[in-house]
Amino acid sequence: MLRELDPLLHSQLRLGIMSLLMNAESAEFTYLKEKTNATAGNVSVQLDKLSEAGYISVEKTFNGKKPLTTCRITKKGIKAFEEYVNSLKDYIKK
Amino acid sequence: METKNDNLSPQQSLDLISSMINQAKGNVGRSSFYFLLWGWLIAFCNFGMYIVLKFTDYEEYAPSVWLLCIPAWAISAMYGRRESKTKMVQTHLDKISMWVWICMAIVITPAWVFGGKINWMMNAIILMPVGAATFLSGIIVRFNPLLVGGIVFWIAGIGCYFVNTTDQYLVGGIAMILGYLVPGYMLRNQKENHA
Repeated sequence: MLRELDPLLHSQLRLGIMSLLMNAESAEFTYLKEKTNATAGNVSVQLDKLSEAGYISVEKTFNGKKPLTTCRITKKGIKAFEEYVNSLKDYIKK
Repeated sequence: METKNDNLSPQQSLDLISSMINQAKGNVGRSSFYFLLWGWLIAFCNFGMYIVLKFTDYEEYAPSVWLLCIPAWAISAMYGRRESKTKMVQTHLDKISMWVWICMAIVITPAWVFGGKINWMMNAIILMPVGAATFLSGIIVRFNPLLVGGIVFWIAGIGCYFVNTTDQYLVGGIAMILGYLVPGYMLRNQKENHA
């Protein structure tokens, strides 16, 4: 029986963000916004959802007077992403 | 990128993941600054040592040329700090690359500091780990000239075992030009072409 795809990851923008973070030690909000080509509001909402699920950690600091939001994928996030990719492979093999 | 589109097919999801991973590839030209700074500096120090030892009577002062490395460390540290502030993402490869060069520095520093104990015949020791770090950087940023540069350092390092102290510096200087400066300029050109 095919595993159900994680609904939190099965969304274009959230999956894009998680894919970027899988390949990075850390990434700034601006970077994620640029690479996904999404609006700041959209990215912000999706980061909150991923953070609430414990898939990413979000650190808010300041670089001088400029606010800086840095995101990192968590162990839980890595596991969820790997399971999602494995489920995708099962779907494609079917 | 839309957020509402949750009806991704498995193939679309895989394509999206692959495209995002490609987006997150590091900037290969970023490290050219270090290759050029250290390439010029170490080549200058090597040729300086060679000229002083070969053509003058001031050989006891020759090792002092290596003191130029101290401001170069400071410049490298400041540049690295500035880069990390402006860089919006740090990839795993960036981190690995940074530690490769820190390990290399730890390995070669005793040769610089205690070089007098081995009659300053340090190029035979230094060029091998420098070659390893250069070669690994080439693998990390997928840049073949750095692989060639690493091999040049290894050949030069072996060659240093067969020449006298003075000529080691000539070999070291030439190795720096071929191993650091040539790939460093090629890396910088690639960065400018991609800018």
